[in-house]
Amino acid sequence: MIRHKTLKIVLTILMSFVLFGSFLYTRNAAGFPGESSRIMFFHVPQAWVAVMAFSLSMVFSVIYLKKRDVRYDMLAVSSSELGFLFCILAMLTGSMFARLTWGSFWNWDPRETSILILLMIYGAYFALRSAVNDQDDKRKFSAVYSLLAFATVPFFIFIVPRITISLHPSDTMNPMNPQLDFRFMLVFILALVAFTGIFFWMLSLKYRWLQLEEKFNRMDTSWDLD
Amino acid sequence: MSYLNESFALLKKDIKCELRTRFAANAIFLFAFTTLIVISYSIAPYRIDEPHRPFIYATLLWIILVFSAFSGLSRSFVKEAEAYTEDLLRLSTQPEVVYTGKMLFNTTLLLLLELLIVPVFLLLMNIRVGHAHYLILLLLFGGVGLSATTTMVAAMIARARVKGVLFSALSFPLTFPLLITLIKGTEKSFMEADIVHWDEVRVAVAYIIVIGVLSLFLFPIIWRD
Repeated sequence: MIRHKTLKIVLTILMSFVLFGSFLYTRNAAGFPGESSRIMFFHVPQAWVAVMAFSLSMVFSVIYLKKRDVRYDMLAVSSSELGFLFCILAMLTGSMFARLTWGSFWNWDPRETSILILLMIYGAYFALRSAVNDQDDKRKFSAVYSLLAFATVPFFIFIVPRITISLHPSDTMNPMNPQLDFRFMLVFILALVAFTGIFFWMLSLKYRWLQLEEKFNRMDTSWDLD
Repeated sequence: MSYLNESFALLKKDIKCELRTRFAANAIFLFAFTTLIVISYSIAPYRIDEPHRPFIYATLLWIILVFSAFSGLSRSFVKEAEAYTEDLLRLSTQPEVVYTGKMLFNTTLLLLLELLIVPVFLLLMNIRVGHAHYLILLLLFGGVGLSATTTMVAAMIARARVKGVLFSALSFPLTFPLLITLIKGTEKSFMEADIVHWDEVRVAVAYIIVIGVLSLFLFPIIWRD
């Protein structure tokens, strides 16, 4: 528990530094209109966390199908719920950036298409979970669905970019780009760490919540109040 | 060999049942014809400018096919559950056979739908097909790919509370990459320009292989109790 507490304090300090640093410590990156480059400290970590969360959810789903241990299903759901949240955040921030640099909030750039499909897949995943009554079926089906969905992801990576060319600035804004100065890099890397930390903290919260809920449900039925 | 024989037996049984009730076929074909007529009435052959025609027509064609398919294919496992024959099927054969048989049946339905709708569509919209062989291959592999995915989804929703809506919601994200490819390829086949690489057909085949193999692994998990 003490470890937990220190981690939380470290995370708070880190996140506050990222928040202040991103607005006060760094300079604007060259080649971007106005202050718009600062969105990179939020948009990129959010997108990274979303991808990580969905991948983790997939891994937990496979482990669940292998071991049939309810805890892995809980981890898979919590992880995909958080992934969904960060995916929406990444979409909103990306869309703001798109308005500033490309001129419109939404123009079906391959990145925008793929993030929307991700949201649709996980929207369907939650719809499936809420529609199946049997607990065991629910867990199996959602794990199977997320595996099937994962199998279609390579097609997006290879097909969608071929239809149109992406305008996404992942080449110019790459952290390996020597044009970006030290301050920019420092805040950017710390932002990645901070967002990842926040994700794992939220994951453990959600996971413990689900475990308590499960315990509560079990108590409820065994007492048979009326 | 007995594996394929059993799958074909299941296909035969499903066709026989379908001929008795005509439930799925009626739903699919009526849906398809209604949308087809609405579309052709409102954008008769010359409403759209010449250069825009191929991609608009390709998109419309696949919208008609996919949504009418979704309206009927969801029934393939629901009808077993409603007739209380699900457990019998579970006892009499292995899960992979069930998947293959049901997929064959769905493919048959889809190909039949395409056989009826596509010629009428081409006629009503006055489309001159530049590369007929390319279109036929796309329709064939598109039908197989769609039914491979929707069979998995149909098996899952058979045990859910809301069925029809959920089926489309679950199928659409999974089939999206295939649909984009099919529309792109169909647009190409409507045009006169030469087709150099068979990109779309290759993607469709790859999709069928990936989904087919994965489904054979995952279907037993859904099917077994």
